[in-house]
Amino acid sequence: MKFNLARLRPLLTGSVVVTILAVTGLVVRPLEAPAWDWVRARQPALKLDSIQGALGQGLTVGLLGGFRAIVADFFWIQTHSVWEDRDLPATQTFIKLVTAIDPRPLFFWINGSRMIAYDMPNWRIVDSGGYNAVPQAKQRLIDEEQATIALNYLKEAFNYHPDSALLHVEVANIYLNRLKDKTNAAEAYRRAALLPNGPFYAGRIYAELLRKLGRKQEAYDWLKQTYTKLPKSVNRSLGISEFTVDSAMAPVVLERIRELEEELNLAEEKRFVP
Amino acid sequence: MNVAPVPPSLPHAAITITGLTKDFSINLRGVKLRAVDNLTLAVPEGQVFGLLGPNGSGKSTTIKIILGLLEPTVGECQVFGVPSGRVDSRLNVGYLPEAPYFYRYLSGTELVRFYGRICGVPKARLADRVREVIDWVGLSAAAHRRVGTYSKGMLQRIGLAQALVHDPRLIILDEPTAGVDPVGSAEISELILKLKTQGKTVLITSHLLAQIEDICDRVAILDRGKLILEGAVAELVGRQDQQALIVDTLPASELEELRGWLTARGHTLSAVEQPRTRLDQLFLNKISRSPKNGGQA
Amino acid sequence: MSTAKRSVPFSLSRLGIVAGNTFLEAVRQKLFNFLLLLAVALVASAQLFREFNFGSSELKFIADFGFGAMVFFGSILTIAATAQLFFSEIENRTALTLLAKPIWRTEFIFGKLLGVFAVVGVFCALTTGLLLALIYNRETALIEAHPEAFEAGRLIHYGDLLMMGVLQWLKFGVLAAITLLVASFSNTNLFTVVMGFFMLVICHLQYLARDAYSHVTALPLRLLVQGLGYVFPNFQVFNLADQIGIGQGIDPMVFVRVGGYALTYIAVFGALAVYSFSQREI
Repeated sequence: MKFNLARLRPLLTGSVVVTILAVTGLVVRPLEAPAWDWVRARQPALKLDSIQGALGQGLTVGLLGGFRAIVADFFWIQTHSVWEDRDLPATQTFIKLVTAIDPRPLFFWINGSRMIAYDMPNWRIVDSGGYNAVPQAKQRLIDEEQATIALNYLKEAFNYHPDSALLHVEVANIYLNRLKDKTNAAEAYRRAALLPNGPFYAGRIYAELLRKLGRKQEAYDWLKQTYTKLPKSVNRSLGISEFTVDSAMAPVVLERIRELEEELNLAEEKRFVP
Repeated sequence: MNVAPVPPSLPHAAITITGLTKDFSINLRGVKLRAVDNLTLAVPEGQVFGLLGPNGSGKSTTIKIILGLLEPTVGECQVFGVPSGRVDSRLNVGYLPEAPYFYRYLSGTELVRFYGRICGVPKARLADRVREVIDWVGLSAAAHRRVGTYSKGMLQRIGLAQALVHDPRLIILDEPTAGVDPVGSAEISELILKLKTQGKTVLITSHLLAQIEDICDRVAILDRGKLILEGAVAELVGRQDQQALIVDTLPASELEELRGWLTARGHTLSAVEQPRTRLDQLFLNKISRSPKNGGQA
Repeated sequence: MSTAKRSVPFSLSRLGIVAGNTFLEAVRQKLFNFLLLLAVALVASAQLFREFNFGSSELKFIADFGFGAMVFFGSILTIAATAQLFFSEIENRTALTLLAKPIWRTEFIFGKLLGVFAVVGVFCALTTGLLLALIYNRETALIEAHPEAFEAGRLIHYGDLLMMGVLQWLKFGVLAAITLLVASFSNTNLFTVVMGFFMLVICHLQYLARDAYSHVTALPLRLLVQGLGYVFPNFQVFNLADQIGIGQGIDPMVFVRVGGYALTYIAVFGALAVYSFSQREI
């Protein structure tokens, strides 16, 4: 009898170990589940099908194993190197791969879109014979094509960063600098300015664009409304630093208000009183 | 060395082994190897007991069971009346394993100190006690060297020191002289005899039967796990019906005269031989190094 | 010495002595030497990132690579050190001498575990400290160079960086306990190391099985997948380092929960290692 028991011992030990582990798993679930939900909520789902081919199995396991940030960083450095070589297809592929791996850092989206919208048109024109050889209309077409790709890319970014003012600024910049589209640029700056973390300059540029678009009353109303909320003096307890006050540029905003009042020919009594 | 008070009514058994069998599985299908087979044995307190036998006869397995490192398949084993599976059965036991190999990154002192602390030697006494046993085994000069630099003989001696640091009543030495040169062997034998004079019980195993014959009070001989012989050394090897007389060399005529004298009284002169010294003794004499003095501990 | 019948209670002091000796072995066997290499690599890679002109995002790169290196090398160190420090006792037969003393196997196993935990603790403390210094130093320089990017103050939550170091340490503790459980029944160092890495991968990927669970329709497979989710701890809960690189904080409650999770598993795997080791014939 004892002999048989001894023979079964490793099996018995194994069963005991597995059972205790399973019970432990059950018991610690209340401790683990909320923490895991928290971690999970901060990890966007991996779209493996779009990246698996590019990565190979080793790196895919690395990604699944929780090394997303570092794998994305690694590919960003790769992006950087193909960007330096002005390799357009590779740069475009890597830019998308990086954000497919880890869409969380804004840095990737913003710098990726800049490469697409600002650098790639230049490469294409140079590749086609240079600025002197390529006709203006063709250059304009290239700019528009690249800007559209960049805008579509940034549109995807909003899925992960719906409240990012900097993304709106980036969109606005592309409309303004690449497409010379003041209307859409103004709208994007407005959105940026309305967000809690929106930079002060977005609001000022929005007003300036409205002014250039001839919508001076709108610009005037906007600036008045903005001015009242701008920090005007340093207040450490409220977290208002010298830098914040400097970048809010309240006196400049007031100056623009006055200019608009002149341009709108507003009567003295209707003018803005700070 | 502080000698534990030994009850006067000797011999009490330090180790009692009853009907002990130990099987090992040697493959996944459950084929067994019987290392010890129905062994019953008692090691009396205060004696040097030799557990002898060829390689693979079950000596080391028996010792591991005594130390609680292995569990018997059948039967039981007690040390000072405590079942050997229990931790407290090892309180009064010192053990020197076969071909010992210690933490090579520790110095001799650190090593003995480590084991002393594990055995619960009081902190206040620890430093003195460590020095005492290292001195007793004659390693004072090398006490601060890393164990990794020790020779085989030194390892045996530092092993003996760690076995003795908590002043146990029973000391188990597994092949203490294996691989050690005659000088080292003789030194270890001397130390074992000293332990005996201090009232310790010593259980010693060896496959070199002759080597420990001189120091054992009793021996048990194992073969393939079975006990084949057990008893006092004197009774086992001494021939009760004969005597040897050793005299300086006699001329042939006087030898004949002696033979006649013996025959006249009904005795027989069985053999006339040249007494021989043992080779190890000759070696020790030639290098003029007698077994070192262990010193008092 | 008193007579034989004296019980030997479990002793934290003996456990500590074994742990101390294990730690000393790691130190004297120069297990920490590679830390120097790692430190040089970290500093060098931090220098490298300057070349790219990433602006404030350079800090993310330093944090990501720093923690990546810590997780990677820390896992190797934990598995290798646990296996090595355990098998050096078995293979050199020092365990024989030690366990022939009045010591519980529980004290031996938990002593070994604590010793390895201390070794990994030193590793985590030094790496986190170095990383903290590197990032702080670089952030200070970047604030001067690009004040506009730091309008809201420093980007890196340094308290979180410390929390992350502690969580990694605890995760390595669980990994050490798992490796020790494997070692307790394994015959070779190599098998233990391989199994240790295997377990590491499973624990990192077990969440996939849990995710797949809801899609599996066949009952036996479903039970198996669900079982897997319960049997192996989820190492992804320790994966909070990404939050730091992008300047987002770690919820202290999450830290406490994950900490409790790790400590529970260290205790359970440690106890299982004792259970398995108690049946081992030495």
